[in-house]
Amino acid sequence: MAQRAVWLISHEPGTPLCGTVRFSRRYPTVEKRAKVFNGASYVPIPEDDPFLKALLFELRLLDDDKDFMESRDSCSCINKTSIYGLPGGGGELWPVVAFQKNDMIYACVPLVEQTLSPRPPLISISGISQGFELLFGIQDFLYSGQKNDTELNTKLSQLPDLLLQACPFGTLLDANLQNSLDSINFISVQKHPQKQPAWKAGTYKGKPQVSISITEKVKSMQYDKQDVADTWQVDGAVTCKCDLEGIMPNVTISLSLPTNGSPLQDILVHPCVTSLDSAILTSSSIDAVDDSAFSGPYKFPFTPPLESFNLCYYTSQVPVPPILGFYQVKEEEVQLKITVNLKLHESVKNNFEFCEAHIPFYNRGPVTHVEYKVSFGQLEVFREKSLLIWIIGQKFPKSMEISLAGTVTFGAKSHKKQPFDQICIGGTAYLKLHFKILDYTLTGCYADQHSVQVFASGKPKISTNRKLISSDYYIWNSKAPAPVTYGSLLL
Amino acid sequence: MGRLSREAWAQRLGAFRASPSAFMAGPEGEDLGRDLLSDLRSEKLSEQTKVSLLVLSLEYPAQLWPDAPAAEAAASSLLDTLVLLPPRPSALRQPLLLAATTALAAGGALGPTSAASRRLLPLLLGLASGRDLGRGFGPASEQRPLQATACECLRELESCKPGLLGGCLGLLRGLLGQEGPVGPVQPLSLLLALALRNTLVTQARAGAGLQGLLVAGVSPAGASPWNWTLAEDGDAHLQPQAPSWLAAEEGECGLAALEPSPEEARELRAAVAQLLDTSYLLTPVAQAQLLWLLGWALRGLRGQLPVLFKTQLVRLLGTAQLTLLHAVLALKAAFGEALFTAQDEDLLLRRLTLAAQHPALPPPTHLFYLHCLLSFPENCPLGATGEEAAPLLLRPQLCRGLLPSLLHDPMALLARLHLLCLLCAEDEEKDEKGQGQSPQRYLGELLAGLRQRAALDGGPRALATLCFQASYLVAHCLAGQPTVMTSLTHGLVRLYRDRPVLAPHFVDLLDRVGPELGEPLRVALRQEVVSRPGKDEALRWHLQMLAKVADRGAQSGTLRFLQAAAAHCTDWGLQQALLQVCRALLRAGVRGGLADLLQALARQLEDPDGRDHARLYYILLAHLAAPKLGVALGPSLVAPALASSLVAENQGFAAALMVQEAPAPIRLSVGPRRAEGPGPVLQLQVEVLEPVYSLELRFRVEGQLYAPLGAVHVPCLCPGRPAHPLLLPLQPRRPAPTQLDVRALYTTPAGLTCHAHLPPLPVNFADLFLPFPQPPEGAGLSFFEELWDSCLPEGTESRLWCPLGPQGLEALVSRHLEPFVVAAQPPTSYHIAIRLPPDSRLLLRLEAAQGDGVPVALRTDDWAVLPLAGDYFRGLSAAA
Repeated sequence: MAQRAVWLISHEPGTPLCGTVRFSRRYPTVEKRAKVFNGASYVPIPEDDPFLKALLFELRLLDDDKDFMESRDSCSCINKTSIYGLPGGGGELWPVVAFQKNDMIYACVPLVEQTLSPRPPLISISGISQGFELLFGIQDFLYSGQKNDTELNTKLSQLPDLLLQACPFGTLLDANLQNSLDSINFISVQKHPQKQPAWKAGTYKGKPQVSISITEKVKSMQYDKQDVADTWQVDGAVTCKCDLEGIMPNVTISLSLPTNGSPLQDILVHPCVTSLDSAILTSSSIDAVDDSAFSGPYKFPFTPPLESFNLCYYTSQVPVPPILGFYQVKEEEVQLKITVNLKLHESVKNNFEFCEAHIPFYNRGPVTHVEYKVSFGQLEVFREKSLLIWIIGQKFPKSMEISLAGTVTFGAKSHKKQPFDQICIGGTAYLKLHFKILDYTLTGCYADQHSVQVFASGKPKISTNRKLISSDYYIWNSKAPAPVTYGSLLL
Repeated sequence: MGRLSREAWAQRLGAFRASPSAFMAGPEGEDLGRDLLSDLRSEKLSEQTKVSLLVLSLEYPAQLWPDAPAAEAAASSLLDTLVLLPPRPSALRQPLLLAATTALAAGGALGPTSAASRRLLPLLLGLASGRDLGRGFGPASEQRPLQATACECLRELESCKPGLLGGCLGLLRGLLGQEGPVGPVQPLSLLLALALRNTLVTQARAGAGLQGLLVAGVSPAGASPWNWTLAEDGDAHLQPQAPSWLAAEEGECGLAALEPSPEEARELRAAVAQLLDTSYLLTPVAQAQLLWLLGWALRGLRGQLPVLFKTQLVRLLGTAQLTLLHAVLALKAAFGEALFTAQDEDLLLRRLTLAAQHPALPPPTHLFYLHCLLSFPENCPLGATGEEAAPLLLRPQLCRGLLPSLLHDPMALLARLHLLCLLCAEDEEKDEKGQGQSPQRYLGELLAGLRQRAALDGGPRALATLCFQASYLVAHCLAGQPTVMTSLTHGLVRLYRDRPVLAPHFVDLLDRVGPELGEPLRVALRQEVVSRPGKDEALRWHLQMLAKVADRGAQSGTLRFLQAAAAHCTDWGLQQALLQVCRALLRAGVRGGLADLLQALARQLEDPDGRDHARLYYILLAHLAAPKLGVALGPSLVAPALASSLVAENQGFAAALMVQEAPAPIRLSVGPRRAEGPGPVLQLQVEVLEPVYSLELRFRVEGQLYAPLGAVHVPCLCPGRPAHPLLLPLQPRRPAPTQLDVRALYTTPAGLTCHAHLPPLPVNFADLFLPFPQPPEGAGLSFFEELWDSCLPEGTESRLWCPLGPQGLEALVSRHLEPFVVAAQPPTSYHIAIRLPPDSRLLLRLEAAQGDGVPVALRTDDWAVLPLAGDYFRGLSAAA
């Protein structure tokens, strides 16, 4: 379950190497075990530069993909997980766990405690999930609250010290690196009479308070077609911050639904939750929803960590999408004729923080001319980006229905400037809705202040908040083919 | 090297990290390990800098201390540094413990005879058990973190020497169970779990029982806590302990041999329960480690032990943590039905299915869960193990959300496509009515979408690659379904029609798929190509494609296409491509029309190489029977016929392209010395026995005494013709003699390239002598005296007796030391100053010669030179 080495690589397209190793750490005692375990199939960990080159090639992040290269482009080189084999001195280095996020590539090589030929199935290697967790932990540490490059560099410079705490010998002790940072700074003088959890660096001193915030994201794919069903789904996250005294305070939070609320499904909880009702464990989007579905209250007893954490995630299938619309595009010589219609469902709170429809045009030249009529809001045109943004504002009008009609003319296509898209070929096009509603959830889910039970000294102040935001809310051109999921074909 | 400043260390560490191997090969490499250890005690460096030095030693002990004695010495030094720390808070104690542990474990020095091991282990155990080790071990505030670190160090040592802590099990249990003020739970739990696992495995292997090792708080009477006998079988115990994931059967891991007595079983159960009960106090990743270890430890043991895990399962199944769910799968694999009923298995599968698509989890996690689904350890597996397959309980209804769509990124698409293929394969077995939205139809539409994207002119290659990977995957999984293969074939041919530039992908696909897709696709592509007029922009791709798919079928069409194409093959590349097709036809046994075509090509092609080629093929076709032709053209297909393949088919050409190992026809010797110029230069005399062309002499110096030497090139050498001496500048890093390893690479008159190893060349001490700049007339003596005085106090002085031959002192000096004389009163007194690169000097006073010898007073600023100078004078007298 140990790691042989870890790397952080920044992807820098356009530079000679296309990347730089920002951080690396090797674990020689683990390496020594790898040599024994892997036997003849052992391949040593390469130095940083050759590793960088091999990994970027494998991830297709080098700039040259003009020519067919068998080792990369062959149809039989199929990768279905983020785990790679990298050719190098004396064989193939495997398994390399690697993924890219925010221009940073995270990579590590877990120890496999057996021979590598034949390759054992990934599921049997405990170091794989440990490696992922280490990389996710580093990613969270680097990017939580980080705003600019200076902060990123500061955090990168703290990594050697942090890994000395969190992963001194290649076996991960805590994926929460912030916790390790706190425990460096936190010096406990007295021994604790009670057993202290390893995931809690110290204890809180001060006014007791609990804050709970529920964020729901709604996504949708709307086609306005006979043979393809529209789809939409809500996923929610409940974030808590519990400032409570004592080593192991107990808290129970209940999430409730109004009578017509949509049941929560696919609930995943934080490891600090101590027990779960079996109805919570089994309510799943895989099964068809019926009236007998468990609809709460959803009780989560837990002992909170010091930091803010995600108590649980859920999904839900609400009966209707909050905004239903259609989008039609007709090609007329060099012009596109577009029609958009959007309707807010009456049950949805008509009070947005913002609401916009982004209408991009891919694989075409720049927009040279637009003629349009909107029933509501205003339209902004970004010519070079070939993008229209319809700013709808804070409220839909009384009719709850708005429309846009117009013609867009394009100039000559120049390959570099205009956006390329592999989906929007031919007439395939979409518009994407961006909106946010405060103090509202689509499922109706809420955390009642009175239902929060806290077993700790002092009566805590409890604050709650809710919001709904859109994510991946697409309305496809109904006059052309659109990418569908299997679910939308099951009419 | 003296003490380095913070900046100097930062620079040095940076240079080392950029490329450890290059740094270690450089001049500073040798001293790094020593400097690091000594500077850890320097008072000038900040703690932060010292921590960074220790971090380096944690990562690269093998480079710093390459063998076991060096590692042992380093560990001792690190422990000394630790003991010498003043009793105030320090950030160094923890990394010093880690570094000493790493040095011993990674350096192979850990063992009962190692003094450092005998110091480190009791220290770690003392710290881990929270014993008061005296004020030297830092303030009370550091006890707790040090206790945790000591546990981690012990865990690492136990990992490297399984069984080492077998005698500590009772002690560890006691510590973990302590009431009142307690130590850190996580490090103790993990240490106990690992030691328990290793002890169970090693005892089972030795056929021994638990022997009361587990009784809490008790060490077996008189026993040392270190079990070197268990750990000392070399690395034997590091042999894979879980060789096969799915082998939950008893006896597989030898644990069945361990039949605990009822008492031992009770102790074992209590220990496991104790660990599990406090597991919620561990971080999620540590909980997962604990479960893996215990799962491993108890697998195959008889009794009711798996049930102990049951209470943890509901809590674990609810989380989104990758490590925890993975650990549950490990328990599932280890215990099967003993822990998971059919309903539990169903629930686990459902949780896994929803985790594989849950929007709150990151994409790499989805992919890993998808892999876990297809490798799910079922209670009652059907079919072969090792192959990915959909588990029986995973009904299509469950998979709806896991099917691919064009919106997925390539990896997710391929992973989900695999699942879809598995469903299609099952679907066919069940019903063929195909009503409604069958998976096959969906698969067809998806593939069509992928092809549409691949056909996009100017699109990135990754899109094309993805399309072919998907086609390959489908062909691999659904080869037995003719309808799928037919539509796939049609779709691919259409793709080729739209974008012939993808020909290399098609060739690759045809190389890798089985005949179910390969055969129909080959025929369809051939028809597609030959139905075109032979003058296409994409002719190059058509020819490449045809070279792959051409055979005896549709000969006349193929030949017609080639005839038409020949007129447009204006450049060498196209002609070669055309000839490649002819070659493929030759191999396939096409005769009739091909002879005419080849004859026409032999006249018509512009390039002479192409014409020759066509003629050769024609001759082969006319004179060889089909089987022989196949053999003749067969083997060299491996070598791509890019260069003139006329010659490539000739054995001699292969020899001509290879470097031959040969005895050297070259003799190399060191000529007279040239004591001039800024650095020492070796004058080489070279003689040859036969003519040699393009000679390259490469020199290598053993060790790091000299900077790498450049090669010397000579265009041509003939026997009997005197050659100019070759000058080889040397760059010594120490003024010391050495030997040069010499290799020669040259071309013979026959055109073969040869490589030879020549006898080594000696570089003598005297070859390094260089004169000082000549002082002005008359100032010689004072110049010498100044140099003489400057040698002390850093340098050294010595006297020796140099015997003289019959010719006396004057002859000796003029023969050997003439260029270095600074002041002299011949024939009795000579003052000689010699510069020794890189920056040493050797000063000699030869005065008051007697009949048979002369006393030599010498001074140098470099101690190391002294023995060399002594040898030199002894050599002179021997020669005299």
